[in-house]
Amino acid sequence: MDLFGGTISSLEKGLSYATLKNKAITQNIANVDTPNYKTKEVSFKDVLNDAKQATIPAYRTDARHYDFEINIGSNGVYSNENFRSRANGNAVNMDAEQAKLAENTIYYNALIDRVSSKFSTLNNVVKGGR
Amino acid sequence: MSIFHSMNTTASALTSQRLRMDVISSNIANVDTTRAKQVNGEWEPYRKKSVTLKEQQGQFSNFLNMAIGKSEKDGVGNGVKVSSIKEDTETPFKLVYDPSHPDANAEGYVQMSNVDVLKEMVDLISASRSYEANITAFNANKNMLTKALEIGKG
Repeated sequence: MDLFGGTISSLEKGLSYATLKNKAITQNIANVDTPNYKTKEVSFKDVLNDAKQATIPAYRTDARHYDFEINIGSNGVYSNENFRSRANGNAVNMDAEQAKLAENTIYYNALIDRVSSKFSTLNNVVKGGR
Repeated sequence: MSIFHSMNTTASALTSQRLRMDVISSNIANVDTTRAKQVNGEWEPYRKKSVTLKEQQGQFSNFLNMAIGKSEKDGVGNGVKVSSIKEDTETPFKLVYDPSHPDANAEGYVQMSNVDVLKEMVDLISASRSYEANITAFNANKNMLTKALEIGKG
């Protein structure tokens, strides 16, 4: 008998992804004035599958196009090495980071809602609907 | 790595931005200082100071745990830290004609500090905006942690 099914563990993976992503966003916002800092991002697929690859190949339609040089650290955190938005080499886009932060918080809250609702459903079953 | 990792990251940024504001305040306060320190027996005007920030790398414990295979590095980093406070030796001192000033030279010119108040104001606003952005990140993180405590409460 599988009482909990796969739901809780899937949601748990989603939550750990959201937590890691929150850390990356926090780190990016903290380093908005650091010269030569490169934005860190979290790959959803990598966190969910625990897949570890060396690089992400860029889709190049011409041999003269530059490769992205995206380095994946462990746990699906990678940083964009070639992008720079300001003269000091800093690549943090504050608007984008704030948007990602809001999005990530809502996503996290939604997952927490689902977990809570799953537990209350189980509780309902255990109590026999009383 | 604890659940308060993000909060520590934000805290380091808040401290750094606060220090930036302190240094800028010091620059503005000393814009007319003609006797900041003595060099070879001569008084030298105040030199503009600027803060340089750098990304804080993982701490010793993280690397140790990683080396003995206890945990994996999450690759996110540990916030930001102040790497140095440098004095501006590039910009020349401003010369103001005031023969009655005690620090005036033989031609009647006084050397003033090389602080540009306009630039300082721009930096001040930049630091204060970065501070606010970090406050937003901190609040978002706090809400997430509070929400996590609600799991299973029905």
